[in-house]
Amino acid sequence: MEQNRITQSPVVEIDHVSKRFAKVLANCDVSITLNRGEVVALLGENGAGKSTIMNILYGIYHMTSGEIRVDGVRQNISAPRDAMALGISMIQQHFSLVGAHTVTENIILGNVKGRIDYEEAERKVQELSDRYQFGVSAKAKVGDLPVGMQQKVEIMKALYRKCRILIMDEPTAVLMPQEIDTLMEFIRSFAAEGNSVFFITHKMREVMQVADRIVIMRNGRVSGTVSKSEVQMSDLARLMIGHDLEVLSRTSHDERKRAVRLRVDHVSVERKGELPLLKDIDFEIHEGEILGVAGVSGNGQDALCEVLYGALRPTAGRITLDGKDISSLNVAQHIALGIGSCASDRHRYGMVSDMSLSENMMLKSSYLHRWDKRGWISWKKVDRYTQEKIDQYTIKAPDPSVTIGSLSGGNQQKAVVAREVDMGQNFVIFDQPTRGLDLGAINYVHKTILKEREAGKSILLVSTELSEVFTLSDRIAVICEGKIMGIFRNGELTTEQIGMLMAGVPIEDLPEAAGSVRNDQPEGSALQHTGKGDGIHE
Amino acid sequence: MNKRREFVRMIVWTVPAIFLGLLICYLFLPLMGVSPSEAFTTMVTGVFSDRFTMGNILIKATPLILTGLAFSFTYKANLYNIGAQGQFYVGCMFAAAISLRLGEKIPGPVVMILAFLGAMAGGGLVGFIIGFLKAKAGANEFLVSMMSTYVIIYLLQYSLGSWLQEDKHEYLKTNSLKKDVWLPKIIDGTSVSLGIVIAVAAAVIVWLILYKTTFGFRVRVTGQNINAARLSGINPKKEYMIAFAVSGAIAGLAGFTEINGMQHMLLTDFEGSIGSYGIGIAIMASANPIGVIFAALLFGFLQVGGTVLSHSTDAPASVIDLMLGFVMLFVLMSFFFRRKYELRTMKKQALTKEES
Repeated sequence: MEQNRITQSPVVEIDHVSKRFAKVLANCDVSITLNRGEVVALLGENGAGKSTIMNILYGIYHMTSGEIRVDGVRQNISAPRDAMALGISMIQQHFSLVGAHTVTENIILGNVKGRIDYEEAERKVQELSDRYQFGVSAKAKVGDLPVGMQQKVEIMKALYRKCRILIMDEPTAVLMPQEIDTLMEFIRSFAAEGNSVFFITHKMREVMQVADRIVIMRNGRVSGTVSKSEVQMSDLARLMIGHDLEVLSRTSHDERKRAVRLRVDHVSVERKGELPLLKDIDFEIHEGEILGVAGVSGNGQDALCEVLYGALRPTAGRITLDGKDISSLNVAQHIALGIGSCASDRHRYGMVSDMSLSENMMLKSSYLHRWDKRGWISWKKVDRYTQEKIDQYTIKAPDPSVTIGSLSGGNQQKAVVAREVDMGQNFVIFDQPTRGLDLGAINYVHKTILKEREAGKSILLVSTELSEVFTLSDRIAVICEGKIMGIFRNGELTTEQIGMLMAGVPIEDLPEAAGSVRNDQPEGSALQHTGKGDGIHE
Repeated sequence: MNKRREFVRMIVWTVPAIFLGLLICYLFLPLMGVSPSEAFTTMVTGVFSDRFTMGNILIKATPLILTGLAFSFTYKANLYNIGAQGQFYVGCMFAAAISLRLGEKIPGPVVMILAFLGAMAGGGLVGFIIGFLKAKAGANEFLVSMMSTYVIIYLLQYSLGSWLQEDKHEYLKTNSLKKDVWLPKIIDGTSVSLGIVIAVAAAVIVWLILYKTTFGFRVRVTGQNINAARLSGINPKKEYMIAFAVSGAIAGLAGFTEINGMQHMLLTDFEGSIGSYGIGIAIMASANPIGVIFAALLFGFLQVGGTVLSHSTDAPASVIDLMLGFVMLFVLMSFFFRRKYELRTMKKQALTKEES
């Protein structure tokens, strides 16, 4: 019966659209259709191009090639105004509301001319709110409303303009669980009236809750389209996993014989009135061990890495390195203790594009007096060291004086990895170390990580690529919404089971019981699963 | 290799822009009843015919180099110090006060060293306060530094009417400095003092600090990528405060070279636009300390040339600002077009790479 609601008449057709920014291809040959009464979810990692394609539809960006048809007619949408005239509205991740104004004033903003009949407007707005049971008072001041309510005001703004195609960019990112439920209810009833919705998200569970059809995006392309009725949550997890990787040989050893290097003791990051970033994280990493953290991006991985690197203070719990409490130290002190960190977004956090390769190689060690005498840098020394790393890591760069921004992504990452491996003599954090790299570079990074493990370093590997986690890790922790769902020896669980955990299904509800153990200190029988179990690598 | 190419590119874009700016400016001269060709010859011959006028270029350039450096230094940290004028005035007050009060009590060279340090400390303090407000209270440094100038202008006027005022209590100015606290002249037949040497040395030192020390490195990292800086153990707030203090100190130093090197007294509305010219100079030089020297010399030349022009022809004195304005405008436009051109070639390169 649900299916009847959706007519097979496309409202929006995005046809072979590409978008190129100066240096990056943000969308490549993207084709998506949206039918009347349909909710289409755009699922993908951060940076997969979901928001870009929707911003093109909304007229904020302009496509490089391709065409967009609305109701079968080719449209040239050059500004949000054009989109609104076609009945398209987009609710951005960051709201565009005036806090000091009332709900009504915010909603009629840009929709009124001349004298304003406030009473009439207020009545209309209140009607709208009541019709969808939003519970928003038309007279309330927006600044006083909680975030969930503000979002409803944004939605009402779109409804007031008689919008029939609603684009929502990560609408649940800021919401509490109950608020998410009411939002989902709204989307269902809105679609039931014959309207259409694009729903951008990277959370699989929401997709299953609300979407009729799911478009999966990866690296700016559509990598798959499935309808909800024919897909399982575990399949989605697999669709989000990329290409297969070369099988690397990895010696297995029992890490429990080795000393504990890093101990994370019930660490939480929670601020009042906000969703917790991390909740009761508890694990340890031994010498020469790789702990993989699997999870869909945006589930607290970034916060975890920041906490371990001193960039974020835990609000509860403590972290020790070789027995020394490091939870209240700053980043510089972490660096001095021999902790390296490859940030997930190297452009933002790991390098300075317009600086030379040499300057980037000394980025993290400016306080360590490794290159300077009383503050005067010996660039000769830095250049020589950089040249060594260029040779050792086969970085394709003519010499140490070129800007790192002029290198290819893979070579940039090699340089960053070379630096962090050197800075992290004790413990190295790899946050998505191979994101956006080609196969050759991925392989190189993987080999490097394994080599460092052999050298006895402790490694935390955060990745959204399950295959990567399986290839490299000794143990795997699954993270979802800032909580560790469980820690397992590599091989104890299948890809499907891990996928379910990543989606937030509690361990007790997994279809097949995952062996007999679920904690991070497995006993007896689990030991035979060291290394890679069968069936993990398809 | 890369740096040389960058240098060549800058010359190729900037020099034509300067000439184009001057050319357009000359096209306006007939409106003022001056023939452009006559104006051009008057200006060139007038400026380069005698030593004294040529020397004036260096004199004009001295404070401009320093205010240009002041803006450049904070600019490297991605901050905008619009208040170099005020920091310059504070430097002037410190230099004048120290030179006048201590002038007769201790030997001249010692007084000058104290005035030198005092001017830098005064300007640096003002800079530090701005940086402190930015770092600790999140104040907009652009506005705070700009408004600080107005506060300081009134402070200067008050001081010149009270504790710094000349003995005759007639005008808003100080007594003349005693001769033994004047910076020595370095070129015969001109008024050029040691100030220009100090300014050029300051440019070289700023360059060394920015590019050869870990401190300068951290300032540049903070300016170019604040997130990466934070994750490299650098505290951006600390860098903000220090960068602003250094910037203020450099602007304050201009107070010393002007008071002890050129004017030998302090008066109100003194060199009222060197702060804003400094911003233009820094932008023209892309905030490169060595480039600032040349940009300041160009500004000095235009100022002196403009003065000659307005004296020997019917052109009004505002022709100086007209020239400066046009040259600035065209240099800035050249940056815009250069960026556009480079982006386009980058796009093209990316496309051909994909196709091959």
